[in-house]
Amino acid sequence: MTKLSFATAFFFSVSAVSLGAPAVAQDLVTRTMVGLPDAPNTLTFRLTAFDLYSSDDATREGFEALFTDFIRARPDWKIETQLQTANIGQEQARILQQTLAGRGPDCAMIDSSQLALFKENGVLQPMNAVFSEEEVADLFPYVREAVTNEAGEVLAWWWFTDLRVLYRDTSVVPDAPQTWDELKAAALAAAGEGREGILFNGGRWEGTAFDWLANFWAQGGRLVDDDGEPIFADGENREKFLTAVAYVQDLVESGAAPQRVSSIVNYDAFNAAAAAGTAAMFIGGNWQYGQLRTTLPPEAFANWAVSELPGPTADDRATGTGGWTIAALTDDPDKAALCGEIAKEIYAGPGNALQGLLPTSASLYEQYDAYDGPEFELFAEALQNGVSRPGAAIYPEISNQIQILLGEVLSGSADPETALDAAADAVRAAFERL
Amino acid sequence: MTGDVTSGMTAGKRARAGDVATYALLALLTAFFLAPFVWLLSLSLRTSTEVFLGASRLIPDVPTLGNFERILSDPAFLTYLWNGLKLSVMGGGLAVALAIPAAYAFSRLRWRGMDALLIAILAVQMISPLVILVPLYRWLSALDLLNTHLTVIAVYGALGMPLAVWLLKVAFDAIPVEIEEAAFVDGASRWIVLTRLTLPLARPGIASAFILAMVMNWSQFLVPFILLERDGDWPVSVAIFNFAGSISASTTQLLAAACLVALIPAVTVFVLLQRMIVSALIAGAVKG
Amino acid sequence: MRSSKPASVQIRRRDRALPWLAPALLMLAVFYAVPVLDVFRLAFSDATLVRAPTAYSLETFSDVLTNAVLPEILLTTLIFTGLSVVVLQLVGLMIALLLVRGERRGLHGMAAFRTLVLAAWVVPGIANGLIWQMLFDEAPYGTLNSLLGFVGVGPVAWLSDPVMAMVSAIIANVWQGTAFSMVVFYAARRAINPTLYEVASVDGANAWEAFWAITVPQLRLAIAANTILVSVQTLNTFDSILALTGGGPGRATEVLALFTFNTVFYNLDLAGGSVLALILFALGLAFATLIFGWLRREAA
Repeated sequence: MTKLSFATAFFFSVSAVSLGAPAVAQDLVTRTMVGLPDAPNTLTFRLTAFDLYSSDDATREGFEALFTDFIRARPDWKIETQLQTANIGQEQARILQQTLAGRGPDCAMIDSSQLALFKENGVLQPMNAVFSEEEVADLFPYVREAVTNEAGEVLAWWWFTDLRVLYRDTSVVPDAPQTWDELKAAALAAAGEGREGILFNGGRWEGTAFDWLANFWAQGGRLVDDDGEPIFADGENREKFLTAVAYVQDLVESGAAPQRVSSIVNYDAFNAAAAAGTAAMFIGGNWQYGQLRTTLPPEAFANWAVSELPGPTADDRATGTGGWTIAALTDDPDKAALCGEIAKEIYAGPGNALQGLLPTSASLYEQYDAYDGPEFELFAEALQNGVSRPGAAIYPEISNQIQILLGEVLSGSADPETALDAAADAVRAAFERL
Repeated sequence: MTGDVTSGMTAGKRARAGDVATYALLALLTAFFLAPFVWLLSLSLRTSTEVFLGASRLIPDVPTLGNFERILSDPAFLTYLWNGLKLSVMGGGLAVALAIPAAYAFSRLRWRGMDALLIAILAVQMISPLVILVPLYRWLSALDLLNTHLTVIAVYGALGMPLAVWLLKVAFDAIPVEIEEAAFVDGASRWIVLTRLTLPLARPGIASAFILAMVMNWSQFLVPFILLERDGDWPVSVAIFNFAGSISASTTQLLAAACLVALIPAVTVFVLLQRMIVSALIAGAVKG
Repeated sequence: MRSSKPASVQIRRRDRALPWLAPALLMLAVFYAVPVLDVFRLAFSDATLVRAPTAYSLETFSDVLTNAVLPEILLTTLIFTGLSVVVLQLVGLMIALLLVRGERRGLHGMAAFRTLVLAAWVVPGIANGLIWQMLFDEAPYGTLNSLLGFVGVGPVAWLSDPVMAMVSAIIANVWQGTAFSMVVFYAARRAINPTLYEVASVDGANAWEAFWAITVPQLRLAIAANTILVSVQTLNTFDSILALTGGGPGRATEVLALFTFNTVFYNLDLAGGSVLALILFALGLAFATLIFGWLRREAA
């Protein structure tokens, strides 16, 4: 996922157990460099502002310690750090363009939803020297599929994942709804008590499409075929699509969800509603559990529980999974290896635990105390039904069209069938132009 | 004067009623223009736990200056501020420097195609930076001119110049030609006349053109975002969003503080130079 | 405007205009003319942001111009721009006149108010969108709706209703953009010869009559110039909308500039974006020509 992952950095870090980091040697980490300026070898690393340079003190200090240890063990190297802004789409396009023009960074953080585009353009360098076959095999299946190619090359390391879950205030909704019908009934009952029954993203942004797609995937719907061609508006996919639209449309029209969902464009709106005690349930990201813990008074937090997203039936479930990867863009095998080591030794594992982010391989959950909480058992279980966005270049436009469609349907300015036809036309036109 | 004592009093009363109406309208407008700033201030004084409490905590229970402290003690933020200041001042200066001779030619010389060119310059104003940036990016990248402040300053100069030409032409037009003529009779060259006589007289116009260009540069996002790839080069208008973490992060309070601090230089410029512009305008108005 | 110059100066000093214009023209050529030509070239190509042109045809043009959503986008653009321009200028004019009146009467707080309006102007567009998004929050505890609740109004569906979302986008735009019109009108109003008003007052005209008889005609040029500048600025605005609504709900607030931005930076469709950029340019130009035509008729 894009923006939503960043929030994690701040909240979890407050709650996450510190690694008992020693006093940080500040001199080895500056705003533009990790290591000593006169080190003979240089790796350029494009990272986000959410870990080493986070606005959150605990996160930043934790990563400073990790980077310091990392570079102490490699005195011949220095890492030139370059920040990317929160404008994910443009920043990622820029990295790709620079790389194609031969000016890209050696190593970069790439959003998991953009990884396909980078793979397709052939700019990713294998990092097999760093990752063993066992380590690759230990990755969750959807992660493994995304980061490797047919030749078995490891083209990126997906260092944390996330998923969507249902949050509920157990003082209003004691039992976790397992199906769409149960969710609607519970939301209507809560609305009868003056609460907002259920909140979810419905505005014009990636989160809206991503969160909603779980309802489509739960029925076995597919957005694109094996060749990356859009098929979501054809045949049985069309029916599943319309069923999933009808589900959320009904939530709003019945009053189970307030009209305002079509203006919600960030996950923080749910935290705010929880803090204000106005909402009974919301569909949010796993990272919000830690946010709620630090935001709500303990007695209020005790009322909140997470459960798997309801499906059309209790057996048909899905949840969208996102997260970030680290990939090597350089031809130099030494640099590519160092890039892989950064991913492996700093981010996947210690970096996960530091921020409470979900690791992408099962073994890491046992390795760190940070994952002892009961919520992590649920997350791990729900990840079994995890679906990641298709690694197709057309996905951004499909997402865009879903956002438009949901906005129009939820605000009552278009009916689902017409909106789906328009979306399919637009996606087809964009696909032909690719 | 024809008015007698009574009508004089009603006029006075009417004027006072007008004052009340003026204040009433201004109060409404102030509420509208102030509200977002009050909201920003409220957010910037909150701790992370109170950020989610929305409007119900307009005055935070535990107000803190920690966010401002945090922002101002961050060397990176100060660099961003300095970059922003440097780029917008130099970009505005370049725009005005380029516009002065052109505006002078439009005001004082007569030549074929003048009207057409004047309109063409205004037409240039129609072009969104969005339109020209992508081709510019491709070339500048081919010429290896990305990632330097000079490039951004040049683009700012080009973006600000058309409006500056128009403003300065109007300013030059307002200066009587007769003043210049006297100097020509004394044998001064046009350049001397321009620099010694016309420019000082046109100071308020130049100041307005400069301030306008500078302020537009200050809040410019697209140009520096696309042309500067290294975060150490960014002006505050681009970098500020790193303090948000994301649109949805708990550092909303830091972003609010950063926004407020980022406004200070521009507002200071307004406060300092406003008086100069106003007094110059008044002088111009009295002369008719 | 002073259009006639004493012939003596012109004749005696045979200055050529070109040297004076050279720096400006050079700048225009490098940073406008050539990039615009390049945009034309790209519009006929199949370029993407990550792929150089491989073929040239009219296909992109026909693809973009026959796009079913284009009329909707253009209508949205027209509404957003048209309403913004009207409101921006009315508010700007009102403020300018209030300031002039307040200063003439020696009222306090005028400089502070002017600075406040100017401060809104320097807020970066994206920050503007974010701030208003929080103010417009429709949650039960949302800022504006809470305030309206105190006086028994609302709640208003600021951002979730397609029509209100447009109104909200315009409000946010007016908050930020008014300063420009205020400055233009303020300067123009101060430049009006005060004796005109004295004469009118002696003739027994009240403030309203003086406004229509003196202020409006005298400000005509400023209004025309400002209309052009403000329309173009508004036409090119997308950052505040991007942050406020993202163009939603649906496409309710997706203006052409935002659509263009999305096409280039979201779909990476450089050729399609170039066509849209040309449409954007053509719209601005057409609008300016209209105003110019009107100005010329007025002058005649």
